[in-house]
Amino acid sequence: SGELYCSLLNPRNVRFESINMKNVLHWSAPEGTGSGVLYRVKYSVYGVGKWIRKPECRNINRTWCDLSSETSDYEDQYYASVKAFLNGMFSDWVETTRFNPLTDTKIDPPMVSVSSTDRSLSIILTAPEKWKRSPEEESVSLLQLYPGLQYNVSVLNKKTKKRWFFSISNHTLVVPRLEPETAYCVSARIHVTTPILDSGFSKEYCIATLKDKA
Amino acid sequence: TAGNKILHFGACRVSMSMTEIRAGFTAIKANIQARDPIRTLSILSYPHSLHKLNSSDRCCITHHLFNFYVDKVFKHCKTEDSYVNRKISSIANSFLSMKRKLGQCHEQNQCVCGQESSEKFKQILANYEGLNVTSAAMKSLGELDILLDWME
Repeated sequence: SGELYCSLLNPRNVRFESINMKNVLHWSAPEGTGSGVLYRVKYSVYGVGKWIRKPECRNINRTWCDLSSETSDYEDQYYASVKAFLNGMFSDWVETTRFNPLTDTKIDPPMVSVSSTDRSLSIILTAPEKWKRSPEEESVSLLQLYPGLQYNVSVLNKKTKKRWFFSISNHTLVVPRLEPETAYCVSARIHVTTPILDSGFSKEYCIATLKDKA
Repeated sequence: TAGNKILHFGACRVSMSMTEIRAGFTAIKANIQARDPIRTLSILSYPHSLHKLNSSDRCCITHHLFNFYVDKVFKHCKTEDSYVNRKISSIANSFLSMKRKLGQCHEQNQCVCGQESSEKFKQILANYEGLNVTSAAMKSLGELDILLDWME
């Protein structure tokens, strides 16, 4: 006897969105479905292949699932998959492409701190930390994961609108021979040559040089 | 050239156009990996990751892997997409020159092969020969980021 079952359209655009190795699975609801759709999530380690269900993302109605803990070993690669359920109907499992945390993550801009003298700026840059399970866990700077990490620093003279760019591997920079009592704005980004990763620029930090001591 | 990097493998040093190779692979990664439906096996990482290897064996296993990719992988990865084929041949050319450089160092006995690297490479070959040539070559190419991550 023929088996009658109704299938639901598939979830769409199933992908990992990763920032500083906080790896979150995202997807869009099946086309034409409103609220009421529930989802289940599973993941697998490439080369092992056994699918593992994510209990915290069983029968959820949101369209994301945090898999950071399950994908925290960046020496491995991963797949994840989502299935949709609605009124007894269900979709196929829809998979991501292969996810490599080391090359597929995005990196936040560095933290920037600036101090000034009458004729120089001192800039200290701090790379973001890798995602961690809990505040108690030991922090790992992305600098440790990406030895080729560099900083691109922009310094703008607000009065003359003259801008300098510096590319440094060190996390400190002193900009000499500036004008006293002048406002300067600093912003920085991270550039990793290989694998190829670039953060956006940080917001601008503006500071004035001091009165001329001479 | 820009993006060249000197990688040290024991006493051997190899200049690699890593940024160029990475950019080439990133451009075709999704296309190549989509051609590999087998999730349960990895050529390079099964059963153990390259990262578990003893550092003293890095030079020898790298020497073997350069030969492996030049002799057994790139030539079996022809696709119907000329853009993908161009990227593959560009990566293959980079590997060919790295193979030569490391080969010279290996011949000068500065790239000692220990038991661990020999066994690991035997496992890689066994994983490769467990599939038909085209599938094995395409899977190996799809794992290039695993190799590059480990080398760096």
